[in-house]
Amino acid sequence: MTRCVCLVQEGQTPDERKTILGGLLNTYSERAFGEGADINWVTVPAGSGFTAAQPSTSSIVSFTAPQAVEQGVRTSLLTDLCDLWMDETGCSLDEIVAVINDPRD
Amino acid sequence: MPLYMCNAAKGAISAEAKSKIAADVTRIHCEVTGAPATFVHVFFFEEAEHMPLDGHGAVLFGTIRGGRTDAQKVQMKDEMQEAIRLQAGVPQEKISVLIAETPANWVMEGGDLLPEPGEEAEWLKAHEAKVAEARTT
Repeated sequence: MTRCVCLVQEGQTPDERKTILGGLLNTYSERAFGEGADINWVTVPAGSGFTAAQPSTSSIVSFTAPQAVEQGVRTSLLTDLCDLWMDETGCSLDEIVAVINDPRD
Repeated sequence: MPLYMCNAAKGAISAEAKSKIAADVTRIHCEVTGAPATFVHVFFFEEAEHMPLDGHGAVLFGTIRGGRTDAQKVQMKDEMQEAIRLQAGVPQEKISVLIAETPANWVMEGGDLLPEPGEEAEWLKAHEAKVAEARTT
């Protein structure tokens, strides 16, 4: 399974939406990395998230790929990941941070 | 990115202190690295399982873009530790600050790969133009 951590602000992603996003991220992971995603949802408590020192509405979605990813492929996958998240949550481009890490030794 | 996550004992950091520490961490990161504030995320947790305290009163874990010097990282760690001590009253020896690096081109923010250190101004200019264009179409 591919490791995926989703950091979201409390109140922004209800459980029903997490279920839908989880399914979409799993399908994405199968397509991108050839295996499903083990998703860890981390909720930032209300009043505890800041971006540019102001209350944050940002989500951060971070995958760790099972193998090293070629940069051109990574860029395309990151774009797809941002699009997936924006389509489902309705957030803006400036509210999603996507990361695809290579595996660490 | 950077993302700074702070875990602390329950009640150790008040809501007011969180806001002040977030402002300090953002300022310190920007002053030391020259990065724009819009990149800086600071998230607080209480006794979160994903960030063990290991006997500390507060742990600040930062993930920043690669390419900063050791001196920059040491300066940021020292100043951020002091900010937490001042704003939250956690004893200095009970505050752990760790910084890890991620390649800039592994991260997409605002729909663009993050710039390498030192290329932020050009990135911001291009990004703002892109956002403005999107608003008009």
